Amino acid sequence: MKKRVSLIVITVVLLMAMSVGVLAKDTIKIGLLESRSGTFALHAGPKYLAAQLAVKEINDAGGVLGRKLELIAPDPQSDNRRFQELARRLILRDEVDVLFGGFSSAAREAIRPIIDEYEMLYFYNNQYEGGVADKYTFCTGPVPEQQIEPVIQYCIEKFGPRMYILAADYNFGQLSAKWTHVFAEKHGGEVIGEEFIPLEVTQFASSIERIQEANPDFLVMYITGDPHASFYPQALAAGLNIPFATSINVAQGYEHKRFDPPALAGMHIGVHYVEELPTPANQDFVKRFREMFPDVPYIGEQTQNTYVGIYLYAKAVELAGTTDIPKVIEALESGISFDAPEGRVYLDPKTHHLVRDVRIVVVDENHELHFPKTYEQVWPDWLSREKGVDLTKKPEFVQYEP
Amino acid sequence: MNKTSRFSNFLNTVNGPFSIGRSAVFWVAFLIVTGYLYFFPRFASRYDVINLTYFMSWTFVAMGLSLIWGCGNILSFGQMAFVGIGGYVYGIIAINTLDAVGNTIPALLGGIIIPFLVAALLGYFVFYGRVSGVYVSIMTLVFTLVLETFMGQTAGDKWRVGKALLGGYNGMTNIPSINFGSTGLKGASLYYFVLTLMVVTYLLLRYLVNSKYGVGLVATGSNPDRTEVLGYNIRLIQLLAFAIAGGLAGLSGVLYVAWGHYITPSTMGLTNASLPVIWVAVGGRKSMLAAIISTIVLQYFTQYLAVTGSEFALIILGALLLIVVLYMPAGVIPTLANCIGKLGSKRRQEALSNSQSRRGVGA
Amino acid sequence: MRLGGLEELPGCQDSSRLGATDVQLFGEIFGAIYLYLDSMAFLFLSAVGLIIILGMMGITNLAHGEFMMLGAYTAVLATRAGLPFPISVVFASLMVGLFGMVLERLIIRRFYGNLLQSLVATWGISLIISQGMLVLMGPSLQTIRMPLGGITVAGKAYAAYRLLLAVIAIGLLIVMWYVFHRTKFGMRARGAMQNAEIAEAMGINTSRMYQFTFGIGSALAGFAGALYAPTTVLAPLYGASFLAPAFVTVVVSGGANVIQGALITSVLLGIIEGTSSRLYGTFIGRMALLAAAMVILRVLPTGISGYLETRGERAR
Repeated sequence: MKKRVSLIVITVVLLMAMSVGVLAKDTIKIGLLESRSGTFALHAGPKYLAAQLAVKEINDAGGVLGRKLELIAPDPQSDNRRFQELARRLILRDEVDVLFGGFSSAAREAIRPIIDEYEMLYFYNNQYEGGVADKYTFCTGPVPEQQIEPVIQYCIEKFGPRMYILAADYNFGQLSAKWTHVFAEKHGGEVIGEEFIPLEVTQFASSIERIQEANPDFLVMYITGDPHASFYPQALAAGLNIPFATSINVAQGYEHKRFDPPALAGMHIGVHYVEELPTPANQDFVKRFREMFPDVPYIGEQTQNTYVGIYLYAKAVELAGTTDIPKVIEALESGISFDAPEGRVYLDPKTHHLVRDVRIVVVDENHELHFPKTYEQVWPDWLSREKGVDLTKKPEFVQYEP
Repeated sequence: MNKTSRFSNFLNTVNGPFSIGRSAVFWVAFLIVTGYLYFFPRFASRYDVINLTYFMSWTFVAMGLSLIWGCGNILSFGQMAFVGIGGYVYGIIAINTLDAVGNTIPALLGGIIIPFLVAALLGYFVFYGRVSGVYVSIMTLVFTLVLETFMGQTAGDKWRVGKALLGGYNGMTNIPSINFGSTGLKGASLYYFVLTLMVVTYLLLRYLVNSKYGVGLVATGSNPDRTEVLGYNIRLIQLLAFAIAGGLAGLSGVLYVAWGHYITPSTMGLTNASLPVIWVAVGGRKSMLAAIISTIVLQYFTQYLAVTGSEFALIILGALLLIVVLYMPAGVIPTLANCIGKLGSKRRQEALSNSQSRRGVGA
Repeated sequence: MRLGGLEELPGCQDSSRLGATDVQLFGEIFGAIYLYLDSMAFLFLSAVGLIIILGMMGITNLAHGEFMMLGAYTAVLATRAGLPFPISVVFASLMVGLFGMVLERLIIRRFYGNLLQSLVATWGISLIISQGMLVLMGPSLQTIRMPLGGITVAGKAYAAYRLLLAVIAIGLLIVMWYVFHRTKFGMRARGAMQNAEIAEAMGINTSRMYQFTFGIGSALAGFAGALYAPTTVLAPLYGASFLAPAFVTVVVSGGANVIQGALITSVLLGIIEGTSSRLYGTFIGRMALLAAAMVILRVLPTGISGYLETRGERAR
């Protein structure tokens, strides 16, 4: 009797183990590297949630090629070294079919040599300073010609040509400032002053004073991170009365919810997506998101981009009929589009970036958002126009600067 | 002196009083473990080999810190600054000279020598300026933070050295592997290189610590005034140790970028600055071997925590540090070694008294 | 209003009557004073707690930044719960002070003989507190609005609150001087600072004194953290932005003479940082601060107060 029972138990256990093994082989593995602890946790955490939502929706609808999607998501702890270690682990040990992730450009640049070395497909889903031309990398975030150019153009028309730039003193801030000079010249504006603030600085008295002295028509803000966000209440207290233009605040860091009004009043953002976007597609998306994750503080643009990225990957795999990376890249480069919460997006084969609608978002004194203007289907074509990039014909693995 | 007696002098020094583990048992165990490590790539997965290489790369900065802190009583929070310098210098030289020279030997040398020199310069200001004790630690901490801030704002085209873009917070990328003339060291070849470096450095440092210089360093660490009165040039001794530690940290930096092909200023930031101190303090600062073991073990541990998605990694490290400093100030490994030693001697004593009582001797 | 174009700021229209250059000059001077006071107040308030602890026990508390963070969080949470802001600040300071005293009793006092180990221990504490706060409260906390709004001088706007902070810093300095030089407690404290053994022999309970002093140093850290909370975003790593300036101030000041050291150092470094950041921007201001500190330390290795004490002793 005992022998029989144990035999049955062993068989059941073996079957379960085999089925797990079979199932595991049968899923499509998506590696995700988004920090859930450390400095970026606040902004990167929701990206993981968005990925989970997308994966669940796709799996509920039957999966991809009859297989389920599986998310493998360790926590890189906002540490670039961890990003490197975990990227290696996901590629070599967990053998994922695609890699998603990275919040800061530093994290992306830390992973890119690794994904290039192992020829792994990689999706980067944040807005950034533009310029990545990499055969294996696809960027779902907006680039300067989709953010900075529209908002600078709009503000010059509305407020006047004289602008003062306040930027975080690192790549994103410095490059965005450079872009601003380019677009200012193009649209008849003038940069009357610019300042770069080290990342950990929290006291802005001297900058505020200089701005008041220079008296620009509008302020261009490229400050990031929590220490810098304290600029807004300080400026408010000092009575600074000038409108702001930005590509990064509100949509990513939801400062309009974190600070008491009217600190962000007069802020103009050039961006493709905010949670408050009043289209039916988005309102449905937000509803579904908050149903699954009721506690998320805000659905930022990078969160939406991640959702879009997963769907684009799924679509490409269906198109390619396999998860084999060169074939999936071919599918991605065939010119696919997707009806995202932000509207219709189209993956530009030459640059691996998205064509999308761009909006000017304005924050009023009660921190409500308005949408006075939309630029439709803006092409991320600086790379192809200015640098001759065509990843379908000539693979590259670099990042360009203006 | 002829060759054999010089060699036996060397052996004796390596086996000197300032290192734990001197018995024959120790050396046999050492050989076994080293042998195992050399055979590791035969049976381990590609990932595990690369991962272990990565962990071993950090043992050099830990050994350097063990040298200055364990022996010389100089607590430096700024060793990551030299790691960063080593990594950046290697990157700059390698990117610019690899095509011309065909190998990365100048880069490798530069990545060790330049941090050595910078540490010597900083050491000059600190030790000859008669700054001592706690202030040294704070100034080294401030130094690494300043360096991080400085490197952080080097984005943009004008911040380049030759072909190498410094890259600001985005970091310097596309750094070539270590290369001795044919292909770059990767995977198993990099593993053997780092392992050999680690073993050789360990033995050389043991020699240094037990040599006449080492005696001077330990004396300076425990009582600088008395040592000075006895005629030692304590400032030079401290300066040299600090410079050597800087060079070792630079080596860690070189190996790190050879593994990851990438470096950012955050390597020199606040969180990373605490890591060498934690590794060495928890392991046992007076022992090089403890530093090595602790570095590898703690890195496995925190990586494991990251993989399982735990948020508690740094809290645990902080708690570990606190507990060790409170209850095991010599470090986990020496305390364990002592316990085992005491257990051993207790057993011997029991056996002795047993045999004595059986023979009816004593009492 | 903020939306739309420029506003005519009051004061601009008057300038033609008073003589534009007079007003402009006054505006310049006021602007400069504002910046310097701001810089000095910041340095003084963030460092004074550290200096007291250093002077009394030779301990450098690497968790100082975290104490400031605890003060800030406590004050903000208390204000949200309904307490008026000034009361929250006092409450926060008391809480952090108590916490410091408990920490002293349990951990710190074991390291009085071994200062390097105390650095390591307080570093461990700092990691636990900041990372623990990250886990407990998340990566950031919404702060409260800066009280008092703005004032306008010669056409430029300033935050009145920051001027208040400068006033508080000066007030604190005076109070401390009074306590240290005019009260019995202060005398006993200075005695214990100068020579612990003799103080003990004369009946001063040094261990009680140490505990109390650590408590005061912590409370002052919490006080500074709470005061600066409305000016910035609160994150568990909030203390890190105070770390470098506070430690530099402490190291340059030295521990021998708390009041004079703190005062002179804050003024000196405040001028250096204020001038450099005014002329060249915040980054250069930071660099100048650190460079000056290294130079001063090279010349006066026991800090400014150490130098003053030795000079004072020689004069006597």
